[in-house]
Amino acid sequence: MVISDIALHFPKNLSEAIRLLGELEEARVLAGGTDLLIEIKQGLVMVKNLISLKKIKELKGIEKKGNRIRMGALSTLEEVMSDPLINQYIPALADAAASMASFQIRSMATVGGNISSAVPSADLPPTLIAAEATVELHCSDSSREVSLSEFFTGPREMICGKGELLTSVFIPLPPDETGIAFQKFALREASALAVVNVASKLTIKKGKIERALIVLGAVAPTPVLASKASGLLCGNKPSDSLFEKAALTAREEGNPISDIRGSIWHRKELIQVLTRRTLDEALSQVQGKLRRGK
Amino acid sequence: MKEERGKHRIVVLNVNSEEHSVAVKDGETLLDVLRDKLRLTGTKKGCNLGVCGACTVLVNGQPKNSCLLLAAACEGDEITTIEGVAGEGVLHSLQRAFINHGAIQCGFCTPGMIISALDLIKRNPDPSEDEIKEALSGNLCRCTGYTRIIDAVKSWKKYKKTKEPPSRSYDSEKFLTVGRSLPRVDAADKVTGRAKFAADYYFQNMLYGKILHSPIPHGRIKKIDTSRAENFPGVKLVLTGKDVPDITYGVSPARYDEYILAKEKVRYVGDEVAAVIAVDEETAEGALNLIQVEYEELPAVFNPTEAVQEGAPQLHERYKNNINTHVDHHFGDIEKGFAEADCIREEEFVGNHVYQNPLEPHTSIAYWENDGSTLVLYSSTQVPHYVHYMVARVLDIPLGDIRIIRPTVGGGFGAKAATTPLDLITSIASKKTGRPVKMLYSRKEMFLYGRGRHKQYMKFKIGVKKDGRITAVKSKIYLDGGAYSSFGVITAYYAGSMIPTLYMIPNYRYEGFRIMTNKPACGAMRGHGTPQPRFAFESLLSMIADDLGIDPVEIRLRNAMEANTRTCNDLDVRSCEFKSTLKEVEKKSGWREKYGKLPPGKGIGIGCGGFVSGAGYAIYRGQVQRSLEKKPEAFQKKAIFPHANAIVKVSEDGTAVIPLILAAEIGQGAATVLSQMCAESLGISLSRVRIRMEDSDISPLDLGAYSSRTTLMGGNAVVMACRDVLKKLFATVSEIWGCKPQELEAGENRIFHKRDKSKDMEWAEAARRYFNEHGPLVGTGWYKPPEELGGDYKGAAVGTSPAFSFGSSVCECRVDLETGKVKIERFTDYHDCGTPINPQAVHAQVEGAVVMGSGETIMEEVIYDGKGNTLNPNLHDYLLMTIKDVPEIFSGIVDSYEPEGPYGAKEIGEGATLPVLAAVAHSIANATGVWIKDLPITPEKILKALKNKEEAA
Repeated sequence: MVISDIALHFPKNLSEAIRLLGELEEARVLAGGTDLLIEIKQGLVMVKNLISLKKIKELKGIEKKGNRIRMGALSTLEEVMSDPLINQYIPALADAAASMASFQIRSMATVGGNISSAVPSADLPPTLIAAEATVELHCSDSSREVSLSEFFTGPREMICGKGELLTSVFIPLPPDETGIAFQKFALREASALAVVNVASKLTIKKGKIERALIVLGAVAPTPVLASKASGLLCGNKPSDSLFEKAALTAREEGNPISDIRGSIWHRKELIQVLTRRTLDEALSQVQGKLRRGK
Repeated sequence: MKEERGKHRIVVLNVNSEEHSVAVKDGETLLDVLRDKLRLTGTKKGCNLGVCGACTVLVNGQPKNSCLLLAAACEGDEITTIEGVAGEGVLHSLQRAFINHGAIQCGFCTPGMIISALDLIKRNPDPSEDEIKEALSGNLCRCTGYTRIIDAVKSWKKYKKTKEPPSRSYDSEKFLTVGRSLPRVDAADKVTGRAKFAADYYFQNMLYGKILHSPIPHGRIKKIDTSRAENFPGVKLVLTGKDVPDITYGVSPARYDEYILAKEKVRYVGDEVAAVIAVDEETAEGALNLIQVEYEELPAVFNPTEAVQEGAPQLHERYKNNINTHVDHHFGDIEKGFAEADCIREEEFVGNHVYQNPLEPHTSIAYWENDGSTLVLYSSTQVPHYVHYMVARVLDIPLGDIRIIRPTVGGGFGAKAATTPLDLITSIASKKTGRPVKMLYSRKEMFLYGRGRHKQYMKFKIGVKKDGRITAVKSKIYLDGGAYSSFGVITAYYAGSMIPTLYMIPNYRYEGFRIMTNKPACGAMRGHGTPQPRFAFESLLSMIADDLGIDPVEIRLRNAMEANTRTCNDLDVRSCEFKSTLKEVEKKSGWREKYGKLPPGKGIGIGCGGFVSGAGYAIYRGQVQRSLEKKPEAFQKKAIFPHANAIVKVSEDGTAVIPLILAAEIGQGAATVLSQMCAESLGISLSRVRIRMEDSDISPLDLGAYSSRTTLMGGNAVVMACRDVLKKLFATVSEIWGCKPQELEAGENRIFHKRDKSKDMEWAEAARRYFNEHGPLVGTGWYKPPEELGGDYKGAAVGTSPAFSFGSSVCECRVDLETGKVKIERFTDYHDCGTPINPQAVHAQVEGAVVMGSGETIMEEVIYDGKGNTLNPNLHDYLLMTIKDVPEIFSGIVDSYEPEGPYGAKEIGEGATLPVLAAVAHSIANATGVWIKDLPITPEKILKALKNKEEAA
């Protein structure tokens, strides 16, 4: 199948890419292509111009910048999985990347694509939101940084305006005594979208939960910050019954639909189980850090 | 910005260290350019959406899906395809490992697998099993069950890079090939990407066709306007219902009910309405949108329960109340049987509509040769002869004017067991245009064409004595047939006929209804009609065992079929080692230590099954002849013509033997086992045998790869032809030596006297001597199933076979009781497949069946919305097991000898599927304490059942 009538452009730098994105009619950027080309082939989106980001070096690389990690939008999922910084500071993100698709696809698919496609079941956003990540958006004459939690506006919809491009993701280095965990339920072990995914962050000071964030994926048009459940944890000592209560609360904060991967009922059950499991895991990460610290 | 859309640009692609300057459109994928423009066809198109991995190539050393790369964006990259892996005739160690481990079946996924594995061993020369699974997680395989692929990658270092040909020459000094695990004869071609599948053929001046499918589930075609499509630049021909013969086709002669293109009505979303033939696929596809069809929509019906109600929409006038087939069988006396029972249990079960999903999409290419008098049709089919017969019927020309070519086929499992619209449209369009025409289905079109497994709604009742002995069995089954008959009449009979072959059942009643609904037609899938009733029966038997406190293995042993039995439905079982398979799986799996003794969430279960070794009767009646010429004739209880035929031709110098037989190699290994039997019968080494099966002009009729018939029937024909050759050779040599022919023997590439050691001649020399005196050395052989197979009731022919296989499987699984997720951990399988010709090939069939059957039990299902649309016609959403999902599998073979089979052999291909579903279901029930009786057993169903149980308690 030839994707008819598409013109491909190869800007040499970011400003050229952004200029093209603003100028061209029905234009999309082409990064890994693992989502966009499938959409185009299935006739789900109309695109006339594709702007390949292949030659743009500024968008690559994962590095530490001050007290944050910067991931270039073109970082592939394989790079995220194997990056030493990610594995040191936020292993849950490596877990999320590892849970996705297949080896080949992970070598192609990018962080920027996984975020800006704004697919409700995407696996990176919950962990990134739990880690309080921000994204940098560039347009021709300016750039802005927004919290990822405010980025998504609906299924396949986000706040980028015409000619605006997601260029970097910044993740603040998690404070000590913080654990971030990711859990995903899918119907097979590879090449499977999340039926539900959950990421939770716990920061524990002096035996009490100082800050908690529970983020649910694939259960609403956008990732859901389960604020009631998160709030319920803060100020309390971690315990099985507390986590169970938070999980039960999170269950009601998701607003899933029934589709071929699961019903509303099953998704709600899964929110509860996965939330509890992420909290358990985040706690044991903190406990592990404490043990190592002593 | 300059308008550049749709224009070509010249790019320089570096492929396998060679630079190619090629004109591409911006939207063309690397996959299409590699295949269509560079003709590097080793890279395969299986799904075109980045899931199957058959298109994997290395880009700058990294494995990527070439269907998701735009060629124009690959300039400057180093691309490696499968053709670049073996250098100058020297196979890579990994390719050798794939060959020797039997990691190849149809070969369609093989190039992609090898490319992914190549990257892995470069990064990590000693990968663990988990690392292998991760690296190959994006390469789907439908045949092998992945087990041997993992083994091959694990042990790649053991193999030296060697000059080709490795597959046979390494064994050339050894004889007695039957019974040995020799590598496949087509393996080297499959690991190098040289094996040519139908889509890999290109002919000069070739056109491409695409089909316009109905967007509505049921309606009348009021008007079709094709004028805009006809005027579209590049379009050569547009066909609609009025342009195709008024002759119906199908599979079961009593129910030929399909037109090539819809004449008046469409009956499902996907029904074929029109076809466009154009200079390329893109043009043809583009022009489809210009065809305007006006429909009068009719009410539609999507499930059999509603379809049989009075007043339901009628799909075909001839099938009243949408009942396509009704079977009513009663053997013995079930009333009496149930009256004698101490324990009776009745349960309802529901199967699932699964699709075979061979990795290779259906493809046909047709052209006319011999001054346009002879049709040549390349078809990716399991049944070249039935395609031959059906094309002759629809075009109304003699079979003699048609030449069918079956290239390498990338898996079938029943999806390619009938003549397709592609076969017929390319034949007609190539006649009309005078040019070769090629048509391929996309993955979505494969789902629309359908012919997957019937979803069956089953009620089973079993009565047993206190000791577990069966006194009566009753079943009532509704089969959801979809919009056309296809194989369905036979399916409906099979759903009943195979039940009494496994256990001694004195009294049996089966009532079956195949119902038409507005969905794609269902057909024959691996185990044809039987897996779901077998799942139901086995599950119910295990429930009864628990009710009575009898071990599930023990209850099976007490009822197990014995050799030389005539079943209650008049099927003749000859060899039968079913009990041995039960005892072996019990021992090997540690059943007694595990059953009832595992912690919650861990389970073990058993299932059994068996199948025919070839149908006793051909699908059509009467002799081989254009069907329109034949008068309807009464069924005769014998094969009218031989079902398998072989010519064994010896080269004039005596060094090569060429068996000719139209049997279909579709990945299952037919070419290899037939070659092995040929070598064994003639007393020559396998390296001297070169089988030719592809071309109906060259090879004599064989009915093809369905009903698990090839080893037994094709094998018998080949062995007989070999005996004919030896008879001629012995006559010549005995004359030279002045002895009697019966004093001679052939072996180790020689002809020698049984007692007089001085009389000894090279086999090839003997063949040359024969040729000098008598001309071509050729033997012929054929196989007809025994006469008088089956009983005298209606439908008695279905289920008859010269021999039956038997098998038992034990499944062990782990269930996450909080989410319902199942991990199938281990399978232990023993089969009675007679005496195996190639044990490795048998194990490979079993492993593939275990994985296919497991997927069918827990995750596969074609899902429809309420309007007849398929919701998951792609490999993203239709879930095949990946390499990370598969269990550890042990496959064993019990000693057995089938007198009717060549060298004692029976079938394995389909029978291996049958025990799997129930074994998985039972193990899940054992792990969770809840029986799920409708397939697939999804996490959600398990969790729901657990919650219901909790609430009830």
